[in-house]
Amino acid sequence: MWYIWDLSILLSALSLVIMLFLIARRLLQERQARAAADQRRQVLTALIAFTESRDREALKATMLDVPPGVAIEAGFEFISLLRGEERDDVLVAFNECGLPARVNRQLRKGNVADRIHAAEMLAALGSDDATENLLSALTQDRSREVRIAAAIALCDLGSLPLLATALDFIGVAGQRSRRLVELFRRFPRSRFNELAVHASRADASPFIRAAAIDALAHAGGFGFADFFAGLTGDAAPEVAAAALRALGLTGHAEAPAILKHAMANDDWEVRAAAAESAGRLGLPGLAAPLSRLMDDEVWTVRYAAANALRSFGQPGERLLREIASAEVSRSQRTASLILAEGPVL
Amino acid sequence: MIADWSHEVVLAATILSWFIIAAGLAQTTIYLLQLVFAGYALSKRPPVARSALLWQRYGDVAPPIALLVPAYNEALNVVESVHSMLALEYPNFEVVVINDGSKDDTLQRLIEAFKLVKFQRPYEEALAHQPIRGLYSSPMTERLFVVDKENGGKADAQNAGINVCRAPLFCVIDGDSILEPDALMRAAQPFIDDPERTIAVGGTIRIANGSRIEAGRVREIHLPRRLLPLFQVVEYLRAFLMARLAWSSINTLMLVSGAFGMFRRAEAVAVGGFTKGSMGEDLDIVIKLHRHMRDKKRKYRIQFIPEPVCWTEAPETLSVLARQRSRWQRGALECFFRYRSMLFNPRYGRVGFLGFGHILVVDVLGPVAEVLGYILIPAFWLLGILSAEYLLAFTALIFTYGVCVSVCSLILEEAELQRFPRARDLAVLTVAAVIENFGYRQLNNFWRVKGWWQYLRGNQGWGEMTRTGLGAAKK
Repeated sequence: MWYIWDLSILLSALSLVIMLFLIARRLLQERQARAAADQRRQVLTALIAFTESRDREALKATMLDVPPGVAIEAGFEFISLLRGEERDDVLVAFNECGLPARVNRQLRKGNVADRIHAAEMLAALGSDDATENLLSALTQDRSREVRIAAAIALCDLGSLPLLATALDFIGVAGQRSRRLVELFRRFPRSRFNELAVHASRADASPFIRAAAIDALAHAGGFGFADFFAGLTGDAAPEVAAAALRALGLTGHAEAPAILKHAMANDDWEVRAAAAESAGRLGLPGLAAPLSRLMDDEVWTVRYAAANALRSFGQPGERLLREIASAEVSRSQRTASLILAEGPVL
Repeated sequence: MIADWSHEVVLAATILSWFIIAAGLAQTTIYLLQLVFAGYALSKRPPVARSALLWQRYGDVAPPIALLVPAYNEALNVVESVHSMLALEYPNFEVVVINDGSKDDTLQRLIEAFKLVKFQRPYEEALAHQPIRGLYSSPMTERLFVVDKENGGKADAQNAGINVCRAPLFCVIDGDSILEPDALMRAAQPFIDDPERTIAVGGTIRIANGSRIEAGRVREIHLPRRLLPLFQVVEYLRAFLMARLAWSSINTLMLVSGAFGMFRRAEAVAVGGFTKGSMGEDLDIVIKLHRHMRDKKRKYRIQFIPEPVCWTEAPETLSVLARQRSRWQRGALECFFRYRSMLFNPRYGRVGFLGFGHILVVDVLGPVAEVLGYILIPAFWLLGILSAEYLLAFTALIFTYGVCVSVCSLILEEAELQRFPRARDLAVLTVAAVIENFGYRQLNNFWRVKGWWQYLRGNQGWGEMTRTGLGAAKK
């Protein structure tokens, strides 16, 4: 059993030696951090002075005087506060200082967080070779988060490849991320048809299809109402629910019939979305199916139905009061709770 | 001398010693493996982005979160805590404080500070709990709701909060804890990156004793000045941060701390919420989630991420710490025996083998074997029943490997996270990591054995947790 003892002594001694080395390293880092903080202050001061004097040479001199990493970090933070001509001027100075080249290098060689940040900075800097480098990150980077960030940056620069191609590069695992919602929301209006094509692809993930529908509903407007109406009967409940919610935003001539049909769906998310949209569109003609939904086994559906009735104004409130004063039941309790919502007088 | 004792006595002592040494060896092996896995997880984890960048990146797609804050006799801290929670940097959240029938003026302080008024809010009674006496909202902020209910314990209060909240995610936090401003944003990240599979996320709990706290925020990080909380800093690093990182990396995380954990509401409701009266309600709900998801054959992730930080006050006196540790031990035993059918059950895969195996070795057998070892092995050696080899092996397992594991945790922390601001702190912690193995560790095991005893006797009391209040934490 001696080996247990010997090994323990060896391991403990080794761990203490490593720790001492790390303490020494930290002392060195503390000194470097103090220097970096001074340089950062120097850059920020120069940037503030630039916004007053527009002296590009003075700014360039300061930027080139500090390590590129410090210049990039401080500079990017600063330009996020600027808009318009002032921002454009600073970007020109950054480009003249060669900062985009440094960011490109960070996009290729940094760690994951650095690469994501580099993609965002490239979109902001908008240098000549930004698109090329971002495309390379989208197609080749091994981290899906970086690929998504590159796709968003490319979208901002108006250079995103076809959506289907971009999603292929992002990969199946990446297509579960809510970051794609962000990508879809930034989609240019001229390319909405690509979102629509993707939303109707039965082989795509329901999560992504629903995200595409949401993005179209918020930015696409009534032009897609027929498209949404067609998807309300989709086999994937997540997609059908998203289409119903979208219909609630855009409206549609057939909306009452579609929503009524959806209120009888087997999936609670679909029923809840239908009730929510009926309330949003203000369709008192659906009061009867909505009051039936107030007896639904799922609280979320009951709550959405009761809220929809309440949103109809006086006729809806009257109906809710009738239900609330009837015999004790699930509907009666839901109606009472909804009517009582608000400060207690 | 060994020859003076009968063969039977020597054989019995040898078997007993082997059991004790094997238990110690198993525990040490687990700790060393944890370090390896934690090191791997840390090296693979993407470095941390700045808070401002996170907001820019995730602000628009961040899901709504309800912050559930059970409060029982928290009059000392509650107003400051709620202020700090309301000031969190997250686009869409509400704070639901649940006054669990406090005997002090917790509710009154909240009513006065936030001008609360009684409010009706329809909610689903999905989980059972003690009756709610009233709901309150504040005209000062739409984000705050207070639930006043009859006393039912922490789990009961959390269940009431789950019922009342409307967000798809909820985050449980202790009423006396302080969240870093960006903690919600960081904890929500796995729910953004993988919203379909992520069902729970735990963050780091750090000890605030000694740090400078103003207006519900930790302004300057300092190490505790007292020895007891200082040892707990090392202990939290070793037992919580590294262990949880390791288990999370293989999706076998068994514990998301009750002091700061985020859960998907639908799954928490599906498993019946927190188990009322449980001593380890946080461990309990995570085990239930594992069981539920595996029974349903659904893909899921329960993750620990080190970046979101919640500051808490560590006990500074032996008596309070003893009560806390005994209670944790009872909680672990209670969950282990309640869900014992999962142990080594192939249906539950690595959760049954590794997760439950870990609880068996470290929490069920570990403290008993170690305390027995402190008494029996030196006694056997002094009486000449066993050779010095056994004593040295036991000493190695307890003391020298203990030093190695504690220092290695610190090495990982410094190599990958660097959360202690000064080199001096590291030096102090290194010394603490060495000396905590000589006295503090033994005391801890004694309290855990006491917890075993209390569990066997059916003692279910929480005990009083005396607090000085984080706002009053001294520099």
